[in-house]
Amino acid sequence: MTIREAAEALGCEILQNEFEDSDLQGGYTSDLLSDVMANAKSGAALITIQAHKNTVAVATLAALPAIVVCNSRPVPDDMLASAKDEGIAVLRTAESQYVVSGKLYALLPAGAA
Amino acid sequence: MPILADLHNHSCLSPCGSLELSPRVLAAAAAAKGVGLLALTDHNSALNGPAFAAACVPFGILPLFGMEATTTEEVHVLCLFASLDAALSFGELAYSLLPSFPNDPERMGDQVYLDEEENIVGEVEHYLGAALDLGLEDIGPLVARYGGLVVPAHVDRPAFSMTSQLGFVTDGPWSAVECVRIPSTVLTRGYPLITSSDAHYPEHVGRRPFSLDAETEELAPGGYGRGVSLEALRTALSRRPRS
Repeated sequence: MTIREAAEALGCEILQNEFEDSDLQGGYTSDLLSDVMANAKSGAALITIQAHKNTVAVATLAALPAIVVCNSRPVPDDMLASAKDEGIAVLRTAESQYVVSGKLYALLPAGAA
Repeated sequence: MPILADLHNHSCLSPCGSLELSPRVLAAAAAAKGVGLLALTDHNSALNGPAFAAACVPFGILPLFGMEATTTEEVHVLCLFASLDAALSFGELAYSLLPSFPNDPERMGDQVYLDEEENIVGEVEHYLGAALDLGLEDIGPLVARYGGLVVPAHVDRPAFSMTSQLGFVTDGPWSAVECVRIPSTVLTRGYPLITSSDAHYPEHVGRRPFSLDAETEELAPGGYGRGVSLEALRTALSRRPRS
């Protein structure tokens, strides 16, 4: 399932639209960026409420192609600018990390992590 | 006469800091804004301290050394030392508590440190933007053991602050609490409040210094060459507004 397909299935708005629509390899849910850096697997979507520029930096380092901002958190412009530079998708939803994780887990093929 | 102080500044050592912001550029720009007490607080490293010490001398700026540490909770805390050696020792410990995640200068920025003549003498291998294996409960006592004091950074900011990570300002051995704006938009529970520039680029230097009610002679009782008395600094900070 690609990032755009996942965005549609999850009912997310796409705030940063310039990215390569690659297949999601899984998801990683965390609000501690150092944890994301240490443990997220490349190709996963990052599910978080940490909506700022540093989230993009960590997604870049960990090769995560998409960030799903939960709970309708405000997303600052500099985060979107930096995500555009890096070609990382920024999605947003009113739902919580728990709900988004559960839905994405069910959407992706068995074995995705 | 009160002294203008600025206790939160980065240099080219911080991955997110401008390569243009050398310790000398920082000291010169701060001096031009009238800052008399200046701290260099790169992310999780004090390695530009020697260059910063030398850079402050021609301007007569009183230097403080240390770092902006990232605790396990990803709360930023300023760790300030009067002694360069103490800051460097604490820096060695901090580096050992940092994950062994290599920095990627192309993507994250350079992490270079300089000698007193401002030649690049080294590059830090591990990414300094990561969190230390050191919790907020433990950082104050540990810094105190090395002879320093602690100030939670930008508590009113939406990232890497006590408010963003924990929800509120917690009790601790804080000599002051740094806010972006005073009066603060968050509850600061009676701690003395300061602002500081958090400069990452030359043009940010001196944008938010604060007035410290202390004479230079009181802050540096042994004269400029003997450096700042941390006790005197703590006392002066305790006279800052608390709301």
